[in-house]
Amino acid sequence: MISRWRGSVVTVGRGTAPFVVILIAWALVTRAGVLPAIFLPPLGDVAKTAWQMFQDGSLWINIGASVGRVLVSLVISVPLAVGLGIFVGLHRRLSPVVEPIAGFFNALSGIAWLPLAVTWFGLGWVSVTFIMFNTIFFLVFYNTLVGIRTVPRILEHAVRTLGGSRRHIIFHVLIPGAMPNIVTGIRMSIGFGWRALIAAEMIATSTGLGFLIYNASNFHQTDTILVGIVTIGILWLLTDRLILQPVERWTVERWGLVSSSR
Amino acid sequence: MGRYWEIASTWTVILAASIAVWSLAAATLPVPDYFLPPPAAVLSAFVELTAKGMLPMFIGESLRRIVLAALLGLFVGVPIGLALGISHRTAQFAYPVLNFFQSVSGIAWLPLMLIWFGFGERTILIAVNYTVLFPVIFNALLGIRSVPPIYVNALRTLGASRWRIVRDVLVPGALPNIAMGIRLGLAYGWRALIAAEMLVGANGLGFMIFNSQAFHLTARIMLGMGIIGALWVALDYFLLRPIEEATIDRWGMVQR
Repeated sequence: MISRWRGSVVTVGRGTAPFVVILIAWALVTRAGVLPAIFLPPLGDVAKTAWQMFQDGSLWINIGASVGRVLVSLVISVPLAVGLGIFVGLHRRLSPVVEPIAGFFNALSGIAWLPLAVTWFGLGWVSVTFIMFNTIFFLVFYNTLVGIRTVPRILEHAVRTLGGSRRHIIFHVLIPGAMPNIVTGIRMSIGFGWRALIAAEMIATSTGLGFLIYNASNFHQTDTILVGIVTIGILWLLTDRLILQPVERWTVERWGLVSSSR
Repeated sequence: MGRYWEIASTWTVILAASIAVWSLAAATLPVPDYFLPPPAAVLSAFVELTAKGMLPMFIGESLRRIVLAALLGLFVGVPIGLALGISHRTAQFAYPVLNFFQSVSGIAWLPLMLIWFGFGERTILIAVNYTVLFPVIFNALLGIRSVPPIYVNALRTLGASRWRIVRDVLVPGALPNIAMGIRLGLAYGWRALIAAEMLVGANGLGFMIFNSQAFHLTARIMLGMGIIGALWVALDYFLLRPIEEATIDRWGMVQR
């Protein structure tokens, strides 16, 4: 028990040590006064700004707006994309035609839709959500489709020979076989969606972390920008560590074809 | 030969069908013309902008920027990642930092870069190269570290030198991850480039579609989007696939 506790302390120490080095270098640079504060404000100023935004709630509002948009888009588009991907993947005549189309929209996904979205929906949350929806939908749809299509036919034949029904094949062979691809798709879609969101918020709305940092740059508030950037990084690391990695580990262990040599 | 014929005919059918549906929608839907211009308008925008020389210029500018970032990623990012990964200590030190910086996209740094480097080419280039470099470095390091130590030990027991282990075990073992990092970095970088050109630019495809929006020139937006998608498909086909075929298929565990 104690050694486990000590082990985690060592891990945390190893993880934070490099950041401590960066912070010390930052403090030294600002103390030496080589850069004007508008370029790189002292650490204390950034901490003070962070604390202020923490207290007056402005940081929370913008975090809430960004995270809320990610969640809403995920809840709408992931079930739709997985469902449609499975449906199309099951039709062997339809899927070779749909796959290149999905691939193309996948290549186009994200911020390139912004001008068209603004033309259609105006500036505001609809445009931003549309871009997020678009990015997440096509990545997940494409990966689900490819996942279903690349399940080795031999597994399907094996179950069929043993008298498995079509329903049985779909639920016990094809969907489990596509599961690692589906999870990879969702994982990637969150990465791409989150980046598209930050860019879209800079242009098309007046809330969210993207807006926060872009607006701050208009007023040369470098400390606010840095608070925003660090928040974005921490949010992503938390998402990755607390949601994506456990889910991926679970699916790969449960459904994946892990080679026995590892 | 048969396979190419099949791909070509599939694409012809897809293109013809989507153009037909699109023309029908543009002709019948009760929306203003700038909402959904017909395919013919996009075609005439293509002819007009090509004749004026704007389109080739914008394409050239965007391509130049992404190719530069790709080269930098390949020839600077990969070696840095490998060098950091080879030693257990530097890898342990660099991992959290790289993970943090690769998770903050270049676009999030853009406001800061605007203050540091001003509105201009320099800011676009730095944002795009940043976005490409970090995933490449991070994945190269990860690749080296994920080579099972048993292989290293096996060669070491047989008396291999350190250089030999790096050359014959660590680098080949890291290649699938390196290919993945390059794909991810360039996919992020291409999108960051479009966004940066929108926010900063005076040229490039991102600028073209963003600027057209202000004048309700929707046909130009659609033209730009089509080109952005097509360029990525081409980049994928001529650069990323060959890299993956030379690495993942050769060294990785592809199930066929």
